[in-house]
Amino acid sequence: MASMIVASSNAKPLSPLPITSQSPKPRIQIPQIKIPQKLLKLSSSALKSLSAVAVTSLAFSPPSLAAEIEKAALFDFNLTLPIIMVEFLVLMFALDKIYYSPLGNFMDERDNAIKEKLNSVKDTSEEVKQLEEQAAAVMRAARAEISAALTKMKKETQLEVEQKLAVGRKKIEAELQEALANLERQKEDTIKSLDSQIAALSEEIVRKVLPVQ
Amino acid sequence: MNVLSCSMNTLRGLYDISGVEVGQHFYWQIGGFQVHAQVLITSWVVIAILLGSAFIAVRNPQTVPTATQNFFEYVLEFIRDVSKTQIGEEYGPWVPFIGTLFLFIFVSNWSGALLPWKIIELPHGELAAPTNDINTTVALALLTSIAYFYAGLSKKGLGYFSKYIQPTPILLPINILEDFTKPLSLSFRLFGNILADELVVVVLVSLVPLVVPIPVMFLGLFTSGIQALIFATLAAAYIGESMEGHH
Repeated sequence: MASMIVASSNAKPLSPLPITSQSPKPRIQIPQIKIPQKLLKLSSSALKSLSAVAVTSLAFSPPSLAAEIEKAALFDFNLTLPIIMVEFLVLMFALDKIYYSPLGNFMDERDNAIKEKLNSVKDTSEEVKQLEEQAAAVMRAARAEISAALTKMKKETQLEVEQKLAVGRKKIEAELQEALANLERQKEDTIKSLDSQIAALSEEIVRKVLPVQ
Repeated sequence: MNVLSCSMNTLRGLYDISGVEVGQHFYWQIGGFQVHAQVLITSWVVIAILLGSAFIAVRNPQTVPTATQNFFEYVLEFIRDVSKTQIGEEYGPWVPFIGTLFLFIFVSNWSGALLPWKIIELPHGELAAPTNDINTTVALALLTSIAYFYAGLSKKGLGYFSKYIQPTPILLPINILEDFTKPLSLSFRLFGNILADELVVVVLVSLVPLVVPIPVMFLGLFTSGIQALIFATLAAAYIGESMEGHH
C-alpha cells in the first residue's frame, strides 16, 4: 500500500513534463516552419536526457524510501496472532471473574429483591385494609361506649337532681307547715290574750256605760 | 534537472513530515519467531485499562449504584441485550465472549484515536490501535469461528453438520464456503476500517495540521464504535445461527 502511494506520487510529476510540452507541438509546426526542427531535435535529445535522469533518479531514489518500501508488510502473519488469541482468552476469563459474573449476579439478585419487595407491598395493601377495618370497628365501639356512658350519666344526674329537688321540696313544705303551725299558735295565743282582754274591756265598758250604782 | 531534483526533494520532505508509516512493524524475536511488538504493547495497555477499570468499578457493588458502577452496569446490560437478541434465550454462557469481543475492540479502536501513543518513540514502526494489525483481527475472527463451531457441536453433536445440506444438498459448496468467508469478512472489515481511519487522520494532519482533521477524527471515533458493535453483533449472530434448531 505504501509502495503504491509512493510510486504513484513519484510518477506524476515526471510524466506531464515531456508529453504535454513537446509531443503535440511538432505535428502542427513541422510543415510550416523549418527552424523548429532543430529545436525539436534539441528538445528530443533533451527529452531523452530528461527521461534518463528520471530513470536514474528513480533507480537511485533515496535509500530510506527504498528500504521502507521493501519492509512495508501489511499482511504479515506471525506469532503475534496466537499470542493475541491467548491474550484475548485470558482477558475473557479475567473479565468474567471480575466483571460479568459478579456484577451480573449482583444485578439479578437486586432485581429479584426488588420484585419480592414489590410483591410484598401488594400483599400489605390487604393488610392495610384489614387494619383500617379494625380501626373503624374500634372507633365505632368507642363511640357506642361514649354514647352509653353519656346517657347513663344523664340519667344519674337527672335522678340526683330529682332527689335533691324532692328533698328541697319536703324541707320547704316542712318549714312551711312549721311556720303555719307557729302562726296558728300565735293566732290562738293572741286570741286567748284577746279573750282575756275582751273580758276586762267589756267589764270596763260595762262599768263606764252603766253608771255605777 | 533542477525541477526534477526539486520535486524529488519536496516529495521526500513531504514523506518525512507526514510520517505515514503503513505496514511497518517493531519486531521482537521470541524463540525464533517474530512478533509485532507494537501490537503486543498496545494490547497490554488496553487489557490493563479494561481489567483495572472493571476491577475498580465492581470491587464493592452497591445496591444503589454509584456513577462508575452505574456505567458498568449499563455496559453489561448493553452486552446482554446484544447477546440476547442475537443468540436467544440461551445467551448466558456467551456473554463473556461477546462482551470481551466488544470491549476489547472498542477500547482498542478508541485508544488508537485518543491515547497519545506518539509520545513513546519506537525504534521502528509506531504504536497504534491493536486492531490496526491484521494479526489481531484475524485472531479475533478465528476465535469467533471456533466459538460458533463449538456452540453448534455442543448443542447438537454431530447433527450440527447436517446444516450444510439443510435447504438442499446443492448448497453444500456455498455452505462450506461460508465458514471461510465469515472470518475473512469479519477480520478484513475491522482491519480495513481502523487502518483507513488512522491513515485518513494522519494524512489530513500532515496536510492541514489544524481544525480540519477534527471532524474526521470524530467520524473515526464513531466508526470505531460502530465497528466494535458490528464485530460483536455478527459474532453473536453466527453463534446464534449455529445454535438455533431447524427441524
